[in-house]
Amino acid sequence: MNIDRNEARRIAALAHLELDEPALDRMAAEMTKILTYIDQLREIDTTGFDERAATETPLRDDHPRPSTERDAVAANAPAWRDGFFVVPKVIGGE
Amino acid sequence: MSDVLELPWTEAREEVSPREYVDACLRAIGTHNRSLNAFLSVNDVAPEGSLPIAVKDNIVTTDLPTTCASAILRNFRSPFDATAIARLRARGASIVGKTNLDEFAMGSSTEHSAFGPTRNPWDPTRVPGGSSGGSTAAVAARLVPAALGSETGGSVRQPAALCGIVGLKPTYGRISRNGLVAFASSLDQIGIATKTVRDCAEILGIIAGHDPYDSTSSTEPVDDYAADLASGVKGLRFGIVREALAQLTGEVRANFDAAVAVLRGGGAIVEEASVPSIGSAVAIYYIVANAEASANLSRFDGIRYGYRSERARTLDAVYAESRGDGFGPEVKRRIMLGTFALSSGYYDAYYSRAQRVRAKLRHEFAEAFRAFDFLITPTTPESAFPIGAKTDDPLSMYLNDIFTAPANLVGIPAIAVPSGFDRAGLPLSLQFMATHFAERALFRAAAFYERETHYWRRAPMLQSERA
Repeated sequence: MNIDRNEARRIAALAHLELDEPALDRMAAEMTKILTYIDQLREIDTTGFDERAATETPLRDDHPRPSTERDAVAANAPAWRDGFFVVPKVIGGE
Repeated sequence: MSDVLELPWTEAREEVSPREYVDACLRAIGTHNRSLNAFLSVNDVAPEGSLPIAVKDNIVTTDLPTTCASAILRNFRSPFDATAIARLRARGASIVGKTNLDEFAMGSSTEHSAFGPTRNPWDPTRVPGGSSGGSTAAVAARLVPAALGSETGGSVRQPAALCGIVGLKPTYGRISRNGLVAFASSLDQIGIATKTVRDCAEILGIIAGHDPYDSTSSTEPVDDYAADLASGVKGLRFGIVREALAQLTGEVRANFDAAVAVLRGGGAIVEEASVPSIGSAVAIYYIVANAEASANLSRFDGIRYGYRSERARTLDAVYAESRGDGFGPEVKRRIMLGTFALSSGYYDAYYSRAQRVRAKLRHEFAEAFRAFDFLITPTTPESAFPIGAKTDDPLSMYLNDIFTAPANLVGIPAIAVPSGFDRAGLPLSLQFMATHFAERALFRAAAFYERETHYWRRAPMLQSERA
C-alpha cells in the first residue's frame, strides 16, 4: 500500500493532528513501509472466520451513581469558568 | 540494609519493618535513578508499607502525577486511584513512585518518552525494552521488589526479558483496567514485574478479580495462584511452537534448547506444536492496536484536561494544534495508521481482515491447547539492543514483539522468566503461555524452571556502583 503526501494530509485531518509538510512526507514514507509489511495478511485464507470479538462485552446495570467531584475535574481543565470548560468561539469565526 | 532489596518481596517482608522497607527503596531510588531514569516521579513521603511498589505512569494515582510519559499530560493528576492501586493500598502497599514508559505505552524500548529514555541496568548504553521499561529496570536494579506495568503487545514481558526479571501478562479481563489509561481496549491488561515467580503470583492474588467499574473484568473466581508452585512439571505437556522456532538464531536458539532440557529433566513431555498463523501476529497487532488507539486517544483534545495550544484561535485548531504539539512522533504515527485502517474505503482491507486473521489465530491456539498444557517460546528474538539502534526504523522495533503479541491478540495469560545470559552478559528469557485463566498452572511451570535455574539471583552491577 502506497501512501503519498495528499493521503497523509487527508488522514491527519481526520485524526485532528497538525503536521507540517516535512512531517507529512516523513509520515507518508513510514506508513507506506509499515503497510507494505501488513499487506502479508492478504495472503492468509480466512474463510470461515469473521471479525467479531471472541466474547461480547457485558454491560452493567444502568443505575445512577456518584460521579467525579466537579472541583476535581476543574483542577485539570486548561480553561474553566463558572462550572464550564472554556473554548474558542465555535460559530461565526474569530 | 541494601541486602533486603536483594531478597524477593515475600522473604524481605519477614526481615524488615514496613517503614524500613519503604525507606530502603527510596534511598536506592535516590542513589540510582539519575543514571537509570526509571522513575518519572517519586513519593518522598510514601507511607510505610509491607509492599513497596512502583507503578507505570499510565496507571492513575491520586498522590502522584500520571503523565503517560507524554507532554500532553505533563501536569495531569487523577482525581481517583485505579482499582488495582486501591486494592494494593488496601493490602498495605506503598506506592513509592511512577515509572517511565514509551509515550502512552506505544513502543518496545522506553525511548519514546517525552522525559528521556530509561537505561538498561545491565548495560546503560542499551534499552530496557518497553513499553514498561521503567518498571522492569526499577525491579532489575533492586530499587523496588515489584512494579505494575501494562501489556498491549508484550509491554511487560518484553522489557522483563531484556532486564532479566519475571513479567506476567494475565488473561484478558483478569485485572480491572479501571484507571489504566486506555491504549487498545481489546488487548490492554495490567501486568506485573517481579524478581521471582512467587512474588508475581501473590501480587496477582491481590489485584485480580471483578470490578464493577470495568465491565470487561471477568467474574471468574480469583484462584490461589501460589498453591502449586512446588508441584513440579512431571507429566505436564509443553508445546514448542514450531513456527517461532524457525526464526531463531545463534545464542537465543541455544538458550531455548537448554531451557527445554531443564523441563524434560523434570519429567515434562515436550513436543513440537503448530500455530501456523503466529508469524502474522505483528501485522494483525499493528492494525488492531492502532485502530483502537486512534479512537481511545481522541479524548486528548485540549478541552477537558492536558495540554492546550496557546496559539489556537478556533475550536478545530485547539484540537489539531494541541494534539500536534502534545503527542510525540511514535504516537502520531500510530494514530495515523489506525485512522487509516478505519477510514472509509480501507476498513475491509485492513481492520476487518486483521480481525479475521486474529480469529483464525485464536482458533489455532485453542487447537494447540487441546494437546498441550503450555506453549513455550523465547520471550524475545534478541537480547537488549543499543539505545538509538531502532528509533529510525519503526518496523524493526515492532518485530521485537513477534513472540509476545500473540498472547494479547488471543487473550491468554503468559509469563516471561529469566533463562540465562548471552555472551555480552545480557539477560535472555523463556516465555510460557497457557489457556485462558490458567495462571495457577502457568506459575507452577514457571516456578519449577526458576527453581532449577535460579537466574533471578544474579543482579546487575549498576553504573553508580561501578564508579
